[in-house]
Amino acid sequence: MSQSARRITLDQWDQRYAELRAAGLSEPSYGGPLRRHVHDGDLRLLKLRTDDSAAALRLWNFLLSEEDRLHQARANGKKIVGTMKDLGTVPVMAYSLDNTIAFYPDGAWWLPCVMENQTRLLEIADSLGIDESFCPVRAMLGAFVSQSHFPIPDMLTCSVGATCDDVAAIAQRLAHLGFPILWWEVPHRRRPDPGEESIELPGGFRAPASQVAFVRSELDRVREAMETCAGQRLTDERLSAGIAQANRVRRLLDELRGLAYTARPCPLPGLEMLIAEMLAIHFCSDQDEAIHVLDELLAEVKRRTSAGIGVLASDAVRVFWVNPVADLRVMNLLEDVGGRVCGSEYLFCHALDLIPEELPPMEALARMALADPMVGSPVDRAERICRDARRFGAEAVVISRIPGASHCALEGAVIGDLVRTRLGMPAVEIEVPPITDSIEPALRTRLEALLETVIDGRRTT
Amino acid sequence: MKTIAYSSPFVPAEWIAAHGMSPSWLQPRPAAGRPLVGASRGVCPYAGALVDAVLSGVEAAGAVMTTACDQMRYAAAIMEHRGQLPVFLMNVPSTWETAAARGLYRDELRRLGRFLVRLGGKEPSPEELAEVMLEGWLGQSERSEHAPVRRVGQAQRSPTKTGRIMVGGTALRLSHPTTPPPPQQKLVPLALVGGPLVEKDSDLFEMVERAGGCVVLDATEGGERTLPAPFDPERARSDPLDELVNAYFGAIPDVFRRPNGRLYEWLGERIAARGVRGILFRRYLWCDLWHAELPRLRQWSPVPVLDFDAVGEEDGATSRTVGRLEAFLEMLR
Repeated sequence: MSQSARRITLDQWDQRYAELRAAGLSEPSYGGPLRRHVHDGDLRLLKLRTDDSAAALRLWNFLLSEEDRLHQARANGKKIVGTMKDLGTVPVMAYSLDNTIAFYPDGAWWLPCVMENQTRLLEIADSLGIDESFCPVRAMLGAFVSQSHFPIPDMLTCSVGATCDDVAAIAQRLAHLGFPILWWEVPHRRRPDPGEESIELPGGFRAPASQVAFVRSELDRVREAMETCAGQRLTDERLSAGIAQANRVRRLLDELRGLAYTARPCPLPGLEMLIAEMLAIHFCSDQDEAIHVLDELLAEVKRRTSAGIGVLASDAVRVFWVNPVADLRVMNLLEDVGGRVCGSEYLFCHALDLIPEELPPMEALARMALADPMVGSPVDRAERICRDARRFGAEAVVISRIPGASHCALEGAVIGDLVRTRLGMPAVEIEVPPITDSIEPALRTRLEALLETVIDGRRTT
Repeated sequence: MKTIAYSSPFVPAEWIAAHGMSPSWLQPRPAAGRPLVGASRGVCPYAGALVDAVLSGVEAAGAVMTTACDQMRYAAAIMEHRGQLPVFLMNVPSTWETAAARGLYRDELRRLGRFLVRLGGKEPSPEELAEVMLEGWLGQSERSEHAPVRRVGQAQRSPTKTGRIMVGGTALRLSHPTTPPPPQQKLVPLALVGGPLVEKDSDLFEMVERAGGCVVLDATEGGERTLPAPFDPERARSDPLDELVNAYFGAIPDVFRRPNGRLYEWLGERIAARGVRGILFRRYLWCDLWHAELPRLRQWSPVPVLDFDAVGEEDGATSRTVGRLEAFLEMLR
C-alpha cells in the first residue's frame, strides 16, 4: 500500500506498474500495463495524468478493454444489444437476461479523443455528410460503418422524443444504412398540472402518472423485442434481480461519490471519478466485473480518506462539473490550475439514483427513464444541479459544452442563470472538443479566472 | 379575441380556433438590435429568432411550442424561464406507428385545450369543434380581416390563393392544394424542401424566379408538406378530436418522425406528379434533423439537390445564395 497518492504520467506508470507487480499485484484477465493500450492506438493516454493506485489501474484496464470484451461475448454466443441514448435503462433489462449484454454505441463519442482520431471515425462521418456541426457522437456512425471497433449488435434500440437531435438524426441515418432500430419514445417530462395525479421519480423530479404509464408501455415493447432476440422470457422475477444488481453498482457509486467529492484532501482525481460514474450506464459490458472494479476503487478511497491522503492540495477550489467532456484531458486541466471536482452531473444522474425495488420492475424502470435530466426542462435539471452543488459544498460551477450538441446550445444559459441567482456562485461555460490541445491556453485561462474569483471570494469572507 | 402564437404544423389551428381564440403562425423576423440568443454558437437561427421574438414581446396571450426538435424544446424552456408570456410545450411523439404514440398526441391536444381555457378560451363541444373543422371545407369565403395563420409558399403567390389557410373567429381552409398553378413557361420547376422559413424568406420565391426557376412544390415546414389531411366529414362529426388527430398526427410527414420514410414517399409522389426538376434543400446551420437527411435525400432523389444552408444574418449570405441558385438553374436548363 502506498502512503502517498499522485496523478502520474504514462512514463511514470511504467515504473509504477513494475513496482506494483513486484509487490504482488493480482490482476484480472484484462489486466496489464497501461502502456499496451497506447500500442493499441489509445494515444491520449500519453497526455493524461492518471491516479497511481492499483484500483485505478484496474479501472483503466477495464474501460480500455471493452471492445475485446464485446468481441469475446460475440464469440461466446452471447446476444449483444446496442442501446442508443437512454443512458441507463435498457441495459438493466438486457443484463437481467442470462445470455445477453448491452452497450452504448454512443460511447464511441470518446474514441476520437482516446485514439486521437487515429481511426478517422470523424472523417468517415464527414464523408457521410455528418460534419462537425454535429456532436462528437457522430463518431458512432463511423464506428458502425467501419466495423472496426465494436461488433454490430444483434439488436439496436434508440430512445427518441425528448432526446438530443444529434443521436436521433444519426440513428435515422444508421437505419437507412441497413441497421434495423427499435425506436421507443420517451416524452418530454413535464410538470404535473394542478390536480393531476403525479409520481415522484428517483432523484426527486415529479412526473404525471400518465407519462410514467406511457413510458412503461414503451418499455414493454422493448422487453418483447429483447425476449425474441435473446430467446428467453424476461420475467418480472428476472428483472427484479437485474434491478437489484444494478442497484449494487449504484450504491457503490453513491458511497464513492460521497467520499471522493467531500473528503479533504481530494482522495481520487476527477478523471477517474468520471470513468467510475460512467460504469453505471452499461457496466462497461460486464456487470459483475464493474462491481469488482468499483469495490476496489471504493476501498482505496476509504483507505486514503482515513489516512488523510489525497492527490490534490487541501485548498483546491471545489468545482461542480456539468456535462461530460469530449476530451478527458480537460479533467486534468482543472486540477492543474488548482481546482477539484466536488460533484458532477454528467447527463446521466438518473443512472446513479437507486431504482425503486419495492415497485413492479417495469414501473420502476419507467420511473427511472423519466428521471433522465435530459428529458425534462433544463430548469428542472438546473435545480437539481443547484441542489447537488450545495450538497457537495461546491464553490463554483463549470458548464462544459459539447460542441454541436443540440441541447448544449441553449441549456447553459438556463443553468448559469439559476446557479448565479440561487446559489450566488460563479459559473462559467467552456466548450470542449475531442482534442483540446490547440485551445488549451484559452481553456486554462477561463478555468483560472473562475478559480481566482473563488479564491478572491474566500479572502473577503 | 385573444391570439395564440404557435410555430409548429403539428399544432392544429382548428383546435385553437374552436376554443374561441385566434391562432397566429409565429414567423420570426430578425431581432432589432443585438439578438438575445439568436446569434449564439450552436443555436439554430430559427429557434434563436423565435426566442428573441417572444422575449422581445409578441402580441399574443400565449405561445404553443412543440417537442418536434430538441432546440425548440429548449427554446420553450428559455421563453418560460426568462419571459412573461405563458408558454405551452406540446409533446409531439417522434414515433408514430403505435397506438400509444397516437394516444399521447390526443392527450396532449386535450391538455392544450385546458391551457387555452386557463388563458380565457372556452372548451368547445364536439359539435362546435366539428363545425370549425368542416366550415372551411364547406367553402366559406375568405374574409379580409382574418389574419393568415400560415401560407403555403407557391399558393401564396397564386391569384386564387389555393391552399392558404386563414383563421379568424373560425378556422377557414380553402381548397387543399393538390394542383398548384402551372409554372410560367421556361421557368425550371423546383421543389423547396426543408425546415421552416422566416419572414424575410418571402423574398426567396422571387429570387428563385429571377434566377429562372419556379417553386412548384413547397415542402418546407409550414408549407404544403405540413398541411393536415382533408377532414372526413362523417368522422369529423362522429369524433372530431379523433379526426383532428388523424389529419395532423396521422398524416403530416416530417423529418423528426421515427422512422421518417413517409417523408420520402410524400416527396416522391409529388416530385413525379409536378415534373420537379430540382430540389432546393433549405436547412439551418445547427439543425441536425434536416442536415443529417441531406446525403440520404441526394442519394434517393431522382433530380439534383442544391444544399441551401441558412446561417442567419451573416453579411454576404444573400449574394452567396443567389450565386449558388443561378449556377444550379443554369445546370438544369
